[in-house]
Amino acid sequence: MEDSSVSCAEHLAQYFSEKDNSENVVLSSVVPEICKTEKCCLGVDEAGRGPVLGPMVYGVAYCPLDKSDALKKLGCADSKVLTEEKREELFGKLCEGKDYVGWSVEVIAPNSICNSMLRRQKYSLNQVSHDSAIGLIKKAVEAGVNISEVYVDTVGPADKYQEKLSKIFPDFKITVASKADATYPCVSAASICAKVSRDRALQVWKFEDGIDKPAEGWGSGYPNDPVTKKFLQQNIDPIFGFPHMVRMSWSTADKILESSATTVEWEEEDEEASPGTPSITSFFGSSKTKKSRTQHPFFKERNLAPTASLN
Amino acid sequence: MAIQLNISAKIAETPAEDQPTVHYMPCRIKSDGPANVSSYFKPIPLESDPKYKKASFRGRPLLGKDIVMPSGYKGLVVQETKQPLVENIDRTLHVSHVFDKITYWNWDKMPSANDAFISALDWIDIAEAIHAPVDSSKD
Repeated sequence: MEDSSVSCAEHLAQYFSEKDNSENVVLSSVVPEICKTEKCCLGVDEAGRGPVLGPMVYGVAYCPLDKSDALKKLGCADSKVLTEEKREELFGKLCEGKDYVGWSVEVIAPNSICNSMLRRQKYSLNQVSHDSAIGLIKKAVEAGVNISEVYVDTVGPADKYQEKLSKIFPDFKITVASKADATYPCVSAASICAKVSRDRALQVWKFEDGIDKPAEGWGSGYPNDPVTKKFLQQNIDPIFGFPHMVRMSWSTADKILESSATTVEWEEEDEEASPGTPSITSFFGSSKTKKSRTQHPFFKERNLAPTASLN
Repeated sequence: MAIQLNISAKIAETPAEDQPTVHYMPCRIKSDGPANVSSYFKPIPLESDPKYKKASFRGRPLLGKDIVMPSGYKGLVVQETKQPLVENIDRTLHVSHVFDKITYWNWDKMPSANDAFISALDWIDIAEAIHAPVDSSKD
């Protein structure tokens, strides 16, 4: 969606508080007119990949090639070395620069991350990341941004990722590098948009009915943070596991559930052990034992069996 | 050993809107008791085909479909107040709820006639056909 009213982090918070936080959302600035005519560079970066809590946010930011220095002057640097305050201030400046810089973020819900990773056919976090980045670049193209150069902070091996992106976007000059957010101003800007969005989405997080927002918060979301640990320990539902803010596909979360929640066994997982092979000893036993009537496949396929008593 | 099933007229006639929501889960949950379903389990109809729903359980994606009980049949939730201490004795079960539909869930797979639970209902039509009195005059 296009939302011209986003001019500071507060607006993001308001927007996210009205959304269902178990679904992904994309939020974009208006495309500055100059970005439709002049050749632009576009940066891609992410925030919140590692934590066991909250969304992962992908961001893109773009501006005309010759405005890259202006971004740098604003103070766009690696968002991880900036304080939260500084990031929010810079986000405000990026929004004020709406005549030459545009941005777009995709907030990938923790629930949606789990659902992807726990599919039958594994869909890894790297694939989720790549697809989000590709989706945001495509959206920018559709919105009319005249992209000529793309800079991406890498996820996984940089050369393979670059090859993948170059195949999808053959007309753009694509650079995939690690620590791109510290090198290219547009990647820094993307990184700031992503990080501020994640912080705000978490700040206004609505929990399931009956779960109180913990007074001391949930910490950084990294498993070694004692506040995060405490939050996880105190918010276990014996049947459902964790609230949807928690990425249950993370091994940290899974391990806690294994020891502290009801055991859940999935049908498909035991299918591997094939019951088809008879044990070798069964060939030597007497064959006098009366063979029970074999069931017709019709019943077997439907899991139907006669029942004469209750267990 | 006989099994006695007790059902009150009031429960048997529960109107559809007062019936419980019953979910058939694609996993074994090793627990028997109340669960905070309404807070944690929120099925949403699929945009592409609202006959199907999606939900998550323990982070896994589920796909579900409402299955209506065949006409003339009802689903029953039964409870046994006294657990038997020995085998082979009479049992008494009390019907606590009745239901006319169940939501059948698969893990990341569309529910279809390939699923044993759904195709098991075929038996009802076949049973009816093979147990119906034979009208020899038509031969």
